[in-house]
Amino acid sequence: MAADGNTERTLSVDSRGRLLGLHATLFEAVLLGATLFGIVSLCILFGYIAFDAFRPLTASIRWYLLFAGTLVLPTTAFTLYARRRPAVRSANTKAFGAVGGALTVTLSTYIVVDALSPYDVVLCLLFGGYLPVVLWLIVRRTKRTPQTGLTIILAAVGGLAVAHGGYDLLRPIVGIAAQWIAYFGIVTLPVACGLWIFGRRRWSRQTARRAALSALGVVLLIVALALGLGIDPSFWVVVLSAFVIPVAVVIGEIGVTDPAGRIGSAGPFVLVGGLSAFLAVERQLGIDGPDGYLTATLLLESWHGLNASSAGVYPQIVGSIVTVGVMGVLAFPIGIGGALYLEEYAPRTGWSGRFATLLEVNISNLAGVPSVVYGLLGLALFRNALGFPTGIVLSAAGTLGLLILPIVVVSAQEALRSVPDSLREAAFGMGASRWQTLRTVVLPEAIPGMLTGTILALARAIGETAPLVIIAVATTKYSPPDGVLSSATVLPLQIFAARSNVDPAFRHGIVPAAAVVLLVLLLLMNTAAIVVRNRFDRRSQ
Amino acid sequence: MINQESTPAVQSTAETTEHTESTQASRGPAIEAHDLSVTYGTETALESVDIQIPDRQITAIIGPSGCGKSTFLRCINRMNDRIDAAAVSGALSFKGTNVYDESVDPVALRRRIGMVFQHPNPFPKSIYDNVAYGLRIQGISSEIDARVKLALKRAALYEEVSDSLEKSALDLSGGQQQRLCIARAIAVDPDVLLMDEPASALDPIATAKIEDLIAELSEEYTVVIVTHNMQQAARISDRTAVFLTGGELVEYDDTETIFENPEHDRVEDYITGKFG
Amino acid sequence: MSSESNAARESLQRNDHVVRTERLYAWAIAGSAFLTILVTVGIVLALLGEALTFWSAVSPLSFFTGTKWSPIIDGEYGLLPLVSGTLIVTVCSALIALPTGLAAALYLSEYASERTRSFLKPALEILAGVPTVIYGYMALVYITPLFQGILPVSIRLIPPGLDPLPAFTLVIPSLQTFNVLSASIVVGIMIIPMVSSISEDALRSVPDELRAAAYGLGSTKYDVSTKVVVPAATSGIVASYVLALSRAIGETMAVTMAMGMSPQLPYFPNVFRNLAESSQTMTGAMVQIASADSLGGVTYEAMFALGLTLFLITLSMNVAAELVRRRFREVYQ
Repeated sequence: MAADGNTERTLSVDSRGRLLGLHATLFEAVLLGATLFGIVSLCILFGYIAFDAFRPLTASIRWYLLFAGTLVLPTTAFTLYARRRPAVRSANTKAFGAVGGALTVTLSTYIVVDALSPYDVVLCLLFGGYLPVVLWLIVRRTKRTPQTGLTIILAAVGGLAVAHGGYDLLRPIVGIAAQWIAYFGIVTLPVACGLWIFGRRRWSRQTARRAALSALGVVLLIVALALGLGIDPSFWVVVLSAFVIPVAVVIGEIGVTDPAGRIGSAGPFVLVGGLSAFLAVERQLGIDGPDGYLTATLLLESWHGLNASSAGVYPQIVGSIVTVGVMGVLAFPIGIGGALYLEEYAPRTGWSGRFATLLEVNISNLAGVPSVVYGLLGLALFRNALGFPTGIVLSAAGTLGLLILPIVVVSAQEALRSVPDSLREAAFGMGASRWQTLRTVVLPEAIPGMLTGTILALARAIGETAPLVIIAVATTKYSPPDGVLSSATVLPLQIFAARSNVDPAFRHGIVPAAAVVLLVLLLLMNTAAIVVRNRFDRRSQ
Repeated sequence: MINQESTPAVQSTAETTEHTESTQASRGPAIEAHDLSVTYGTETALESVDIQIPDRQITAIIGPSGCGKSTFLRCINRMNDRIDAAAVSGALSFKGTNVYDESVDPVALRRRIGMVFQHPNPFPKSIYDNVAYGLRIQGISSEIDARVKLALKRAALYEEVSDSLEKSALDLSGGQQQRLCIARAIAVDPDVLLMDEPASALDPIATAKIEDLIAELSEEYTVVIVTHNMQQAARISDRTAVFLTGGELVEYDDTETIFENPEHDRVEDYITGKFG
Repeated sequence: MSSESNAARESLQRNDHVVRTERLYAWAIAGSAFLTILVTVGIVLALLGEALTFWSAVSPLSFFTGTKWSPIIDGEYGLLPLVSGTLIVTVCSALIALPTGLAAALYLSEYASERTRSFLKPALEILAGVPTVIYGYMALVYITPLFQGILPVSIRLIPPGLDPLPAFTLVIPSLQTFNVLSASIVVGIMIIPMVSSISEDALRSVPDELRAAAYGLGSTKYDVSTKVVVPAATSGIVASYVLALSRAIGETMAVTMAMGMSPQLPYFPNVFRNLAESSQTMTGAMVQIASADSLGGVTYEAMFALGLTLFLITLSMNVAAELVRRRFREVYQ
């Protein structure tokens, strides 16, 4: 009896146990508080920035009611409706992805091509893109062995060299054509070709050909219409080819293949419809919106150091986009090559094995070098050794490219490691050579992961400032760059330069708005990375 | 610095083995090993193996796990080259050519000697592209459709997939995937098919289908199959080789002899299940 | 036999064309791997070349022991004020980030449900992804005024009423426009994920058997977390600390924008003045030199000398962290 009573006492919760329980709860709460500390602080600081950039208190109540009625309510209602039904939800996500992605691509393409001059771009594309592809098709027809990858690279490099060498001769010839023809060559033709290739895989050959041809036809029709009305069709060529056609294809496909989720593809249209209704009513009734700083002027005009109401960051945005693009072109192939060597080629033993270990250690240490030191490297390499002029796009992109190289290599290595070895064995067992195995089996599996890693690295580089200050990139520029050899500035540098400006219109207005633009660019790139990764995950399931 | 399919050091005894033509098989052996040893660093995986594998018959290789049977199989098409630490000595000839000769390209060799692995490993491509893979990497561009169809028929898979050739190979069941891997291997018309426990990851019904298929294939191909399933070896093979621990080939004879009247006690112990 | 075996032998020959292309690709790929080594060599050579020129003009002894940094006005190149500025920022940000990061790691690895973890972890990573120039701006424009509203504060350490004792009061002075405190806070926030993610990896890789054993002996979750899991993951946690400190030392934009450009030796008895007033780090000094228009001469070379010093410090910290981590991995192999 006594023993039983004793057991009962020790197993039940006594006051000491209750104290311990309180202690444990407290400890967990402290840990959670610490976890949330940084996140909450950042949210508060972002709140400050958003408050300054948008100035929500300057809008009237009616404006908010209208905003909620036309935009927030319908979109929320639709999202809630879609969330319950998996098919609708996936179609909704897909449609939003298509609209958002196509919009981003369209705008950045138009902005960049417009800055660089469409004639120059079409010239490069003609010799560096179309010519090699045609050559490749010919080689593929005639030659037996499909070792054509090298041909296309050599032809592209050669083509670009020809375009560069004969620039003075070729440029006037290309310049004869109307501007919309250049845009047609830059955007419409690749889109139509892409549609054709995509369609051959998804539908039948005939449908694919018909789709591609009708895409070309529609664009030409709109061009004719615009010319008839006396409007410059350039912008509309880009919008139609890079936005309307891809979105129509995606939504059309959802409509045909996915009857259960069909309704979900209406999601973006609810948003766009609400937006246009909102704008129409706002203008009609003359309702005052918030008097914020994130305006069309900010996005489309160039910098003004004194007058905040006419200051814009268009050249900085273009500079950031162009720099990131060049950086990607430089860092992606080299980073992938490095990762391929380490994962697929490097032996594990002997002298070359030691070399590979050295490389691996070296790369992990490079990732830890402060970014400001890369600025010094860029200074020594591009300005002192290669003699580039100060502050051009190429040296900025090159410097940041070196900075992200280790990140690209490491993420590409992870992507390669995630390809199961059984696939390599299967390919080797079929008598594929090492390169064939990589090209036909390993790379197609690993590329999405590599792209994700590279986009994330680029997203990090787009906010990087210190190395650019060190290589003396101009902090303020009044025109966007018109080539990789022209000088440019980027968004974060403009934010840095504004630190000493005490005018409240800048300090609590333009600069937060510019910071919002930078954060949106970052967000877009991260979303792109997530989209690429999710597509990859779904495929490998 | 670059490991170009490094060729392990081999004492070329090909000249001598080439002339010791086998008399028991009508066509001569397809594969012939003489004093073949493999070491991984300090570990011995195969110990001085002598074997003659006859043409167009099924040869089963059995033995407890870790006995070197897979290593031997991977020597035949030089898949061991992929492991840096593996060192091969002795001679192994395929149709009279020492496959470890300097001038032999392992890539070309593997095109003549196909391989099917333990776990089905189709490429994450369409069924059609999987079967056409070997043809494409060899640069064959004529009659791909017909060859793919033929290979799928031979692998007894065509009926099941004829209207979904564009579907992903990963959507197939395990047994179908393994038959697809066999179709992929025979599409390039190799001389020899190496199979590394091809049915061990499959259910009994799929296993039976694969076994039927192997029996049919032996009319045209030399089949070497590694298995840990002795009943399977007894059911389908013409000849059986027994490897025991330490990479030693203990006995090699007609399947019937091995299972009914083995020469060595250790083999009998293994077959009757006393160990292994 | 010979005709058949000759044919067989023929077909097994190497195809020279294929071998050649294979070799070409292999070389191209090895070349791009080699490029990453060139980057390191380039960094070292670039830094070393200019830094040596600098040290031939200014003796290394006076560089490393000098107490005044005023390159542009006085031509004084004493590193110590910059080291002091860097150290103060690093220590203060570490005071924020190291405990917070470890607590977050402990929460994520031991307490959080899979679902909570799946959105808290990416949310923490965002802290490291925000451009540092935006952090610097936020420190300058939002955090500093926030503290300026509160400070100065005087706290009497000895309660009133005990008159015979001298009135010890703790005075935290008011903040200058550019100050170390706000810079330290943002640097602390941005290195939290560095600590939390690496520490969490270490905590999660502590074998579950250890936890099970401790629970089996009747320990509470608190005991298991603090007395078993954390000690077992010590070397991983230390590595994460070292890496985070190295990141704080190399941080540039936030400290340049928020701290201003007046290098200071530490104020001693009144330590809070160190936080309240402007100072400069090594990285900040590099930015200042680069922003000045005259690129060239001793001042320009001083930037490389600073860069080399910074590079060596962070490199040795990273290597140390890697060694500590490797030891940890060996323990649980």
